[in-house]
Order: sequence, then C-alpha cells, then structure tokens
Amino acid sequence: MVVDVANFATHTLNGLQYGFILFLIASGLTIILGILDVLNLAHGELYAVGAYVASSVFGYVTGILASPEGVAGLAVFLVVALIAAVVAAAVLIPLGIALESLFLRPLYERNEVYQLVLTFGLLLVLKDVNKFIWGVRSVRASEIYSGINAIPAAEFVGLNFPTFKIVIIVVGATVVLGLFYFFNRTKTGRIIRATAIDREMATAIGVSTDRTFTLVFAMGAFFAGFAGAMALPQSQATLEMGANPLVLSFVVIVIGGLGSLRGAFVGAMIVGLLSRWAVWQYPPAEIAAPFAIMALILLVKPNGLFGTWGETA
Amino acid sequence: MLGAVGGTALAAALAGCSTLLDGDDEGPANGDADVPDEPIQAGLQTFTEGPAAVLGLQAQYGAEIAIQRINDAGGIAGRQMELDVAHEADAAVENYTQFVDQGKDVTFGPISSGGHAALAPEVESQGVVNVGTDGTVTTLYEDTVPDPTYSFRFQNYDVMECVTAAREAVSRIGADNIDSIAGINPNYSFGQDEWKFFKLAIQQLVGDVEIVHEGFPDLLADDMSTHITEVNNGEPDVTFTSVWGGDVTTLMNQAAANDMFDNTQLVGSILYSAVDELSQDVVEQAQAFSGSRNWYWDFPSGNRWSPNADLSQEARDQYDIVPTAHFMSGYGAVTAWATATEKAVDLTGGWPSQEQIARSLEDHGFHTPAGYHVMGSDHQGKSNAYSGRLEWDDDADSAVLEDVNVFTPQEVAPPIGTDAEEWVNSW
Repeated sequence: MVVDVANFATHTLNGLQYGFILFLIASGLTIILGILDVLNLAHGELYAVGAYVASSVFGYVTGILASPEGVAGLAVFLVVALIAAVVAAAVLIPLGIALESLFLRPLYERNEVYQLVLTFGLLLVLKDVNKFIWGVRSVRASEIYSGINAIPAAEFVGLNFPTFKIVIIVVGATVVLGLFYFFNRTKTGRIIRATAIDREMATAIGVSTDRTFTLVFAMGAFFAGFAGAMALPQSQATLEMGANPLVLSFVVIVIGGLGSLRGAFVGAMIVGLLSRWAVWQYPPAEIAAPFAIMALILLVKPNGLFGTWGETA
Repeated sequence: MLGAVGGTALAAALAGCSTLLDGDDEGPANGDADVPDEPIQAGLQTFTEGPAAVLGLQAQYGAEIAIQRINDAGGIAGRQMELDVAHEADAAVENYTQFVDQGKDVTFGPISSGGHAALAPEVESQGVVNVGTDGTVTTLYEDTVPDPTYSFRFQNYDVMECVTAAREAVSRIGADNIDSIAGINPNYSFGQDEWKFFKLAIQQLVGDVEIVHEGFPDLLADDMSTHITEVNNGEPDVTFTSVWGGDVTTLMNQAAANDMFDNTQLVGSILYSAVDELSQDVVEQAQAFSGSRNWYWDFPSGNRWSPNADLSQEARDQYDIVPTAHFMSGYGAVTAWATATEKAVDLTGGWPSQEQIARSLEDHGFHTPAGYHVMGSDHQGKSNAYSGRLEWDDDADSAVLEDVNVFTPQEVAPPIGTDAEEWVNSW
C-alpha cells in the first residue's frame, strides 16, 4: 500500500510538472489571443527559439561553473541557471516587439485569415533562422539538468523525483501568481485588460493601443521562450520541436476558454494531470489523451471552462 | 594476391583492403566493357536535418565515403559515380519519383520504416533499383512487397536486432534471472515492431515472463517520466528499448535522474546511435547493453582489423563523427550495388539493365570493413549482428561498446521464405 501511494504521488507530481510546462507555453498564446485577438501560429517556434537561445546561454554558464559541489555550490548553480533561463527568454522580447510592430500591426484591421497566413509564414522563417544559427542537429543542456538534480530534495520526503522537476513546479507556480498579480493588481495590467474589453474606449481615455499591443506580444513571446528555456535541460532542442507545443497550447486554451488566463492555468493542470494518469493506466493513450480530454470537456462546456479575456482574467 | 583470388580494385577498396600488388594493377575491372562514359548518377534520400539527422547524416557520410573509394579505385567499369542527396522528410515516394525523373541509375534510402513501406511498392512500379539503407520494419518483404524485383534492403532488419537484444540479455543476465520485462519504445511502426519481436524472442528463450509495463512515448517526447516511474515501480529484470538518436539521450538522462538503473537492466537495440550525445556519468550509471546492428567500428579492434581503423579514422577526419551502424547503412548499401553492378558488367560485357543489376544483387555476397554480407534472394541483407556493454572510454572521450558479442545471421534471422514471427514461435 505504501508503494502504491508513493507511485501515485510520483505520477501526480509528473502530471503537475507537465501541467506547469504546458501553462508556461499556453499562457503566452492565450495572452496574445485574448488581448490582440490574434491566433499566433508562430508561438511554437517562439518556444523553440527560447530553447535554442537557452542552449547557448546554458552552455556559457556551465562552461564557467563546471561541476558544482557542496550546498553553496549547488545553490549558486541553481540560481545562475534560473537567471540564465530568464536571460534567454529576454531575447524574445525585442524579437516579439519587432515581429508585432513590423508585421502584425498592419494586419489588425484585416481579415483574420491574413493574420493566420502571416504567423504561419513567421513559423517557417523562425524555423529556418534556428537552423541557420544552431545547425541541423539537436542541442541540449544536460549539465544544467544533472547539476540541478544533484540538489537533494524529494528524497527528504521519501520520494524518488528529480529536483529539476520540482524547480519547474515552483517556477511555474511563481509565474502563475505573478501573472495574476500583474493583470489584477498593477496599473499596466489593468490597462491591458481594459484594452482587451473595449479597444475604442481605451483609446478614448488616452491609452496607446499600439504600445499596449506591442507590450502584450512581447510578453507572450517572452513566456513562450521562457517555457522553451525551462523545458530544454531535461530534453533537447530540435528543428521540429515547435509543432507539438503549439498543438497542445491550443488544446489547453480551448479547454480553458479562448483568451482566458485562468482558463489556461486550469486547462494546463487538467491536461497535465489527466494525460499522465491516462498514460500510466493505458500507455497507448500517449498521443490521444490530451485530445480525448479536450473532447470530453467540450461536450459539457462547448466554450471552454471560463470566459474570455478581461472579464475573468 | 587479390588478382589470384578473383578480386577487383573496386571490391578491395570497398572492403577496406590495401591496393593490388605491383604488377597486378591492370586498371579498373571490365575496362573493355561497352559502357557509357558519363558518370553514374545515384540518389540518396535520408534525414539531413531535424532529430532523425543523427541517423540520416551518418548514412549520408557512409555512402559518400563508399563512393569516394569507388571513384579512387577507378569507378565501376571505369565509370565514376556521383551522389545527389535529398532530405527524406515525409516524402520517400516523392523523392524517389524525382530521382527517377532525373534519370538516376540507382537510388538509396530511406531511413524511416513508414517511408520504406510506402516506397517499396513504388520502386516495384517504376523499376529503378533502390537499395534501402534503413527502414527496417520486419513486414516489408513479408507483407508489403512479398516478391520484390527492384527493391532491396541492406541493413539488418527489426527481427534481427530484437532477437540479438534478447539473446544479449539472456547471455549477460542468465535466463533464470529474467522473470519480468518492461518496454519503452517509440510510438510508431518501428517501435511497435521491435517491442513485439523482443517480447516473442525473450519469452521463447526464458519462458513466461511478467510484462510490467509497455510504454510508447512519442518520437521527440520531452518527458518520459511516466514510463520511468512505472519501471521504477515494477522493477522488471530487463527493460527493452528501441528508442534511437536524441530519444536515447532523453530517456537515459531522465532515467538516471530517476535512479531507474538501480531498478532494472536496460537493454537497447540501438542505444549506440546516440554516441555523440551521451555523457559519461549517465553511461556509467546505466551499465546498459546496446546493439549496433551490423557494424561496430571497433570490433574487431583497429589494431587487429585495419579496415575498421581506416574507415573509422576517415569518418572522424572527414566528418568529425564517431561512425555508428547507420554509417555502415549508407556505406554497405552503396557497396552492395556497386559490387553487384560490376559483376553484372563483367557477365554482360556492357552496362547492365535494371533487371540485370537486380538479378545480380540477389544472393550477392560482398565485403565491407564490417565483414562479409549477403544480399539474400528475398532482397533482405543479412550480416553479423553486434551487441555489447555500453561503457565510457576516457581515451576516446565517448561511449564505446565493450565485450562485444557477435551473432551470425542464422542465429538472429529467419530462413529465407519463413515468416519472422512463425520462426521465433517455432524455437
């Protein structure tokens, strides 16, 4: 019985970790969709760019810090690795600003089809940029993964669970709280929500919608890149890595309600937990599980679990 | 010496042997045959980018070095060979059709099992010989194209490497010590085929075993933790995996982080395909056994078998890689075709037709640095199968296979004309 409880706990933690990764990816997509009303097909490639940039930044870090030892050394390594992930994601900010102001802004008043075609084109371009800069082979940051896993954590409670995954859970929870605080408690966040609810009224009271939209797109790009940076150490960056996160992000935001940040969080947790439990009980369900979950929820709630942006952030 | 045993400069070069003795150098064989002057045009489709490039580029490099050796030896009946490489993507049939439209004399590839299954019927339809480098699904010549004419496959196929893995597990661990198994295999035709045949083989070798977990992670899965957690929970004596390339590294890194290697013995059919990415601490923790299909670069070691030393050094110098079995996939496919075609030129006195080349390839034996290979009358190549203990070598600064076991084709492949599943079930 003790073994079964531990096994269930481990699978649940796996699901939570997976859910937080999904939220980090989907949060950017739903922010952009909810406020700009743009379905960004290039979102998966922004995630990939974040992972690739992180591979270079992490490589630089591990070149300096080498093999950390001792409590202090490991703690420093963890902090530096997290800072490195933020730095990598920060590269996506000027990229997001450039993409939005140069390419998307002229299309806001046009039919949504133009935005889809544009963002699909950006998807292809970003993929080739990654290939041009980092080459055709996959890249990794295994030293970050092994270095953080050297920090003892779960064993203190009798569980076999990598410390890196605990870091993802903690970081993910911090991002969730941070985003909700930003959009509910800060002036800038409220302005953004107001712009989403009524663009004309926001303009009438002096809000620069151009600047707001650019900020929002840059935020979305940053979080996509940050998700890539956090996902990289336990996996790899490849030229095809953007497709699956894009699809799963759609699943999450459809479940949660298009444009709802709260919905993205709940959707990500549902998909993360239920899909890991499903694969645990029936391994062939690996590919189908997220979509089956989405289908079941849509049967009950055709518009997703929550409303759209602004009304229920 | 080579003249005395009927060898040619071409065959010697591709076998990795030294040049003909002085006085026997009469230029390329078939020098008087009535053959065109223009170079032979060959097409290779393989994964040149993306996650499968770890396999695909190896095949490309192997094919390129084989063709360099062909040309340095004077070509095939005096004809030089040129290779055009196309990215396989998900377009095996389209690539082959384009090669045929371009007038290619021969094509090689693909890597993907699904691609090969789609391609083989098209090869039969269009009638330009294709020598497969990979795409090793067992049913290709049993069900998909049961009586091929133009389609051939050089590399050992799935049943061979799965039986090798099962025999390896039994020889290392002992049949009495294997009561339970688990599988973590990629979620497509190749992974399912490999798991099916490993299960069949291990059950025939040791008797009934408990199957603790059967996991099928997606290709490029970021997270294999569910499968690893179940293996940790069930503690199977053996965990078999056919993940390849980057997925090997992902699985082994995550397994190490979850202490999976304390709870099971990992046996992989193609773990060594990730040699360029595996780190020392993970390799040393895993203590895994890995297959290497029909070639391991250091068996026999280079100081006893110079063709291996020369070829692997050439691969490192030219491409900065540790050559793997997929390198030999490309090298061997080209060698099979080149030596068979040279034989056909010798027999016909002119440049042979596709049908004549295809007939020459059947039951054709040839040498590479990996040893002796046979292209069977069923169009499936049969070569020795290699497997060893995955360890870290400080001198090489990479993973190596130690204590290598070699299995002959008749130990790991069904007799010609026998269904693979029936054969395993008949043991």
